[in-house]
Amino acid sequence: MAKELLSLDNGTICSSWNYSDTRLATGSIDGTLSIFDLRDSTSSTSNSLRSTFKTKVHEGNIVKIVWLLPEYGDAVACISADGIVSLLEEIVEDSKPLQWKLCKTFGSSASKVLDVQFGISLSRLKMVAAYSDGHVRVFELLDPLELTNWQLQAEFQNVIESVSSFGKALSLSASISLNPQKGGSQESSFLVGFNSNTPELNSSKVWEFDQAHQRWLPVAELALSEDKGDQVYAVAWAPNIGRPYEIIAVATHKGLSIWHLGLNPDHTGRLSVERVALLSGHEGAVWQMEWDMSGMTLATTGDDGMVRLWQSNLNGVWHQQAAFEPTS
Amino acid sequence: MSPDAVGNGALIPFSGETNDSLAVYPLHHGLARPISRVALSWSRGNSLRVSLFAEPSGSFDTGDGAKVIEVKLGGGDPEIDDADWRRIAYGSVAPFALLQSRRNSLSALSKSSYHLDWWEHVLQYSKDISSLLTGPKLAPNPIIEDPNEIVTKNEEPTCLKAAWELMEIFYVDKQSQAWLPEKLVDWLADYDSLFTSTQETIHGKLVDFQNDLVNIQVIEDDPRYWEVMSSALSVGWLDIVVKMLRLHGSYQIDQLSKRELENGLVEAVAVLISKMPRLRPESAAGNLGECFKSKPDFTKAWEKWRSQITKLDCSPYWIQCDNQQTREGLRNMLQVMLGNTENLCTASCYWIELYVSHFLYIRPFTTGIESMYNLAQKCIQLKTPTGTHRLTGLMIGILAENTEVVIAEISREFGPWMVAHAVELLTSGSEEAEILLHDERYNLGGISMVELHRLAYAQVLSSHALTWQIAPIYLTSCMKQGMGLLENLLYRQSVQHNNLLLKNIEICRLYELDHISSNIMKVAGVYHWKHGRKGAGVFWLQQSQDTNCLDRIAQQLFDSVGKSISDESFKQWEGLIELLGSESKPAGGLEFLHKYRDFKKSLQMVYSGKSTDAARQAVGSLILLMKNPSTPQRFWLPLLFDSLKLLNWKDSPLLSVSETNLLLNKLQELSLARQRPHFTEPNLPPQALSSIRLALATNLGRAILDE
Repeated sequence: MAKELLSLDNGTICSSWNYSDTRLATGSIDGTLSIFDLRDSTSSTSNSLRSTFKTKVHEGNIVKIVWLLPEYGDAVACISADGIVSLLEEIVEDSKPLQWKLCKTFGSSASKVLDVQFGISLSRLKMVAAYSDGHVRVFELLDPLELTNWQLQAEFQNVIESVSSFGKALSLSASISLNPQKGGSQESSFLVGFNSNTPELNSSKVWEFDQAHQRWLPVAELALSEDKGDQVYAVAWAPNIGRPYEIIAVATHKGLSIWHLGLNPDHTGRLSVERVALLSGHEGAVWQMEWDMSGMTLATTGDDGMVRLWQSNLNGVWHQQAAFEPTS
Repeated sequence: MSPDAVGNGALIPFSGETNDSLAVYPLHHGLARPISRVALSWSRGNSLRVSLFAEPSGSFDTGDGAKVIEVKLGGGDPEIDDADWRRIAYGSVAPFALLQSRRNSLSALSKSSYHLDWWEHVLQYSKDISSLLTGPKLAPNPIIEDPNEIVTKNEEPTCLKAAWELMEIFYVDKQSQAWLPEKLVDWLADYDSLFTSTQETIHGKLVDFQNDLVNIQVIEDDPRYWEVMSSALSVGWLDIVVKMLRLHGSYQIDQLSKRELENGLVEAVAVLISKMPRLRPESAAGNLGECFKSKPDFTKAWEKWRSQITKLDCSPYWIQCDNQQTREGLRNMLQVMLGNTENLCTASCYWIELYVSHFLYIRPFTTGIESMYNLAQKCIQLKTPTGTHRLTGLMIGILAENTEVVIAEISREFGPWMVAHAVELLTSGSEEAEILLHDERYNLGGISMVELHRLAYAQVLSSHALTWQIAPIYLTSCMKQGMGLLENLLYRQSVQHNNLLLKNIEICRLYELDHISSNIMKVAGVYHWKHGRKGAGVFWLQQSQDTNCLDRIAQQLFDSVGKSISDESFKQWEGLIELLGSESKPAGGLEFLHKYRDFKKSLQMVYSGKSTDAARQAVGSLILLMKNPSTPQRFWLPLLFDSLKLLNWKDSPLLSVSETNLLLNKLQELSLARQRPHFTEPNLPPQALSSIRLALATNLGRAILDE
């Protein structure tokens, strides 16, 4: 049962729904951010979206929009094609009316931001950003009510052996996925993979914050030894509602891999990994992967323009459950 | 399977087997230009939102550039519309919850999970659910009965109800196990019409014949009359057959020829049919046939009845009956009653009808599921199905005692609601099914199939605004992962609407999800705070006990100390201090804020009314503030600057000598503090300090003179 919710202007190239699926943010090639609101989320029949705000954020394309967590208000991060991240929030200031306000920008033309994700750990909002030079930076919000004050907490490259540094790395894209667990008081972990010219940077790695040494450590690498240099298109960490292991999806040119990640570290601090499936479907690159809220169904889309759904059957065998083909 | 309908249940999660042929569904968007990008977002439950972006075009008035489409996956049975589904969903909550609570209280009483009378509870549950599945009522029966009305029905049968009752017959109703074949006869009588969609059925033949009835002059001359009657007889629709027999022309009084004998034969068959012995406790009111509860009684009556049929069959009267149609038709019916396989095979249309006729006329004592399965195999061979019907797969699965096939069938054909509710039937009394369905599997993430299907159903409920609120009932019956999914579901509810917010918090309270409700309240608090409803913001942040944010708010209130603020914002500021109360952690700071509020209040009165009394009061507050050690040093200068008017009071000096000295000492302390690092200059006009000094000096002078 498919239903059209909204038509968007010419030039719109990305969109993102907020936590409750009641607001939609869209970005376009001329740098315009638009916000749409569901008129009434409680009524099922007349959930029509109306445009509530429009502003030019940037000169170039907005290629990706990420909503911040609702604990920090209604705010989005817009990533532009030239690697600038603009943070905007909806706020009433002084006696001015409600409006979206730019509160912070990250990145520069020299070191472009490719992807950002937000998560809460130790009761603080963290922003993980992946840069075109292969660096990952973790920022921390200092004041929970002010999205302007961020502090750089850590900076590192996506490599297992931290002794080597790759100065000339050039990345086309990167994908970050935070462990979606809701325990805000715990230290979070995240997953990042690159699509770069430096093989060592590419493979998806799970990073965890080591309290004792106050630094981020790689605790797992999600690639078989022969695949470690493969460029990563997208990663997605599945919500875990009670499984004794984590499930992670990684897309490379070889296909879509589903990984099981152990919950408890071994004596070296590493988490056990097992690739449980390698699936083929999209020809070429995978654009996006999204897990449903139970972490049982994965939806993907890619170069072939299809939307594909993946599930595991009762015997734990992953397979493509269905596909959708856009037709006019 | 039609690829057009996404909602036809093809996307039911977790089928047992992997489908090699992938279902590809079209996603109609109506955009003129080709799609260059697609974005995905899961909404609550199993609804997926897809944004399709067309290639941007150079000119900006070329129509829509993108579409956002919502796809609901695996909705369920297409036979039933959305509103009816919701009625069923809501109606099944109470029986489900009752059964769960009974199970819990039983397992609390004894360790064994298997109870002898458990099936009785399940039967009650099954009846409750079944009553919900009734299709739409058809027009009430006419008051004047149409003598030609052969087939009557009161409600539109649905496959869903047929499937449910079939499972109830085989899995739950232990009392009726002895006359299970007769239950199948009744089941087919109720639901034979459903099979008309895929094959010819006796019901369909009857309806067709009835439609033609008005056009038929001499009914007994029409071969279809006899054909339809023997068909109806073969599946045991005795009332219909007898009623049809009585339409026979020989019953009419105005006969041209003598037809008494013919009429006698017709009536003899009618009597035999109405006296047919049945192995069952009782039949529905008014139904023909004689019911026997015990096997010996039945056997006796059965033998007697058959001997009567044989006797009639060999009777010499047949030769004297000169109507050939009647003679052949009646004798064919006698063969059906005698269980002649060939006649039964011709009379029935498809294998289930043939199957049922076997129970009635050949093997009324069939017991044991294995022999029933073998019989079904035989019937399928005799009547190879022309098409597959959604109910036949289920029936074969049940007869083959293959729980996995049954689950897969009902899951594919009827959707998650059916599976989530039917597993209760499958596990009732069968330890094997119990083990299969309750066994926790690593491949499923450590949950059982029962839990998996409940989670899948809860996902369906979650994806609709009108049903998500019953999802918690099912989620909380899941031992392992239900709470996790419930947390995710609650977290994703919007906090904008107060009613919804209160409902969410109530659900959290019911299921003791304190951390989730605290989170929801924090989200609400920040939402209101940022959207200018500061009071509501502080209220919810306090409810969530988010000291982090509350501290920051208290800090912000400090920041406005010493600034000239309008009446409006002062009221708001004052209200916030009230709201924050004294319970908040930075108690020292709040004590100051409360004192500062008193000072500000009287100062405002001074500015508006100029009364000396008010001014004196303000001075009192000022001195209290300056004396108090909890007053932060950084506020001294702003406070004094605020009080310039008091220090320069025209009528008389308001501060005594000692009071003035106290303030001057504070100024002295401040100038010392300025030498230290990290000193932040208050945001005041440059001449502020000198004007304060001058005012204090003037006041001191006047005070000395006064004393």
